[in-house]
Amino acid sequence: MSSNRYSAYRIMWVLVFFDLPTETKRERKVAGQFRKKLIDDGFTMFQFSIYLRHCPSRENAKVHTKRVKRSLPKHGKVCILEITDKQFGNMELFHGIKEVDLPQPTQQLQLF
Amino acid sequence: MIKRTIYIGNPSYLKLKQKQLVVQEPETKEIKGTVPIEDIALLMLDHYQITISNQLLIKLQGNNVAVISCDEHHLPFGMMLPMYGHSEYSERIKHQLAASEPLKKQLWKQTVEQKIENQKALLDLNNKVSEPLAEYKLNVKSGDSSNREGIAAQYYWKHLFENFSRERFGEEPNNLLNFGYAVLRSIVARALVSSGMLPVLGIFHRNKYNAYCLADDIMEPYRPFVDKLVYNYVVSNNYYELNKDTKAHILTIATQDVFIDGVVRPLFVAVTTTTSSLYKCFTGDLRQIKYPELD
Repeated sequence: MSSNRYSAYRIMWVLVFFDLPTETKRERKVAGQFRKKLIDDGFTMFQFSIYLRHCPSRENAKVHTKRVKRSLPKHGKVCILEITDKQFGNMELFHGIKEVDLPQPTQQLQLF
Repeated sequence: MIKRTIYIGNPSYLKLKQKQLVVQEPETKEIKGTVPIEDIALLMLDHYQITISNQLLIKLQGNNVAVISCDEHHLPFGMMLPMYGHSEYSERIKHQLAASEPLKKQLWKQTVEQKIENQKALLDLNNKVSEPLAEYKLNVKSGDSSNREGIAAQYYWKHLFENFSRERFGEEPNNLLNFGYAVLRSIVARALVSSGMLPVLGIFHRNKYNAYCLADDIMEPYRPFVDKLVYNYVVSNNYYELNKDTKAHILTIATQDVFIDGVVRPLFVAVTTTTSSLYKCFTGDLRQIKYPELD
């Protein structure tokens, strides 16, 4: 596969950070629905209230960003961030003091 | 965007959960992975112990995923596509059915010419004598009535591999080629359905036992790309067995770069360019069907 078509600069990660109010039953329901919509859209949990999705192109990242914007809850803080795979790869990740592996970008061909 | 190819070669439960395809190990119930359905292009099922839920199947079809099932020889055996993958389906079928005989013959001529051209390019690429092919290409008549396609193929196979005859059930590397063509065929059939055409009704192929005549027509100029992939693998590894590694290699056919319509595109995307240009030929908006060039 040619590298420029599926490169570290074209692959994008969309991250969604959110802080939603969960005081009342109603608020918890809204927060749950927002989270569910993210999962429906192919996001996976990275940390509590941080979800991420791998997108093979910039255009595709735009699609998913737009979808998140459409399902924003009325209250609470949400941050949507698009970064390239290159930047994502520079992230350092720890569990306790032990360094752990980053989430892998999905392959075009996946064998199960 | 390049959509994803998912290959299942182990016992698995496949089910739908929150619009994701979930692959589960049946014994341990361990989740081996989830894939968003809208990202999938091909789902290849290559194991007898795969269970798939109907809900998942419907969702896959709703997203125009080609579901391919393989037989005991691990070769693609069946393909499942939605009945209609385009909103203008009925309108488009009408145009396809109304295509005149001369138009179909013209389109077939273009198809054969590009196929021979690509075969020639592959021979050139591997420093083999290719001159006769140029001549065959020049002599393709409308509807290829003089069967230049067959004559070119004879020459091509004789010179691409040594001591080789291309047969459906023939010797290696026929097995690798068959696998590659079957994958290619499902990519093409999928693109045809998504462009709102009937893959049943060909422009040249008309075998009454064949359900994918049009796919077989349209894939002809793409075949040399499979040949190239197989050839490179066989030459560099000297290996012919169809196993997980070779399959993984051949399944990358969807992402091979091809030159089409003035730009470089992954084959998977190029096929949809071809099928939409084919539709425009049926309606009379275009005279030339867009095919990829191998270089």
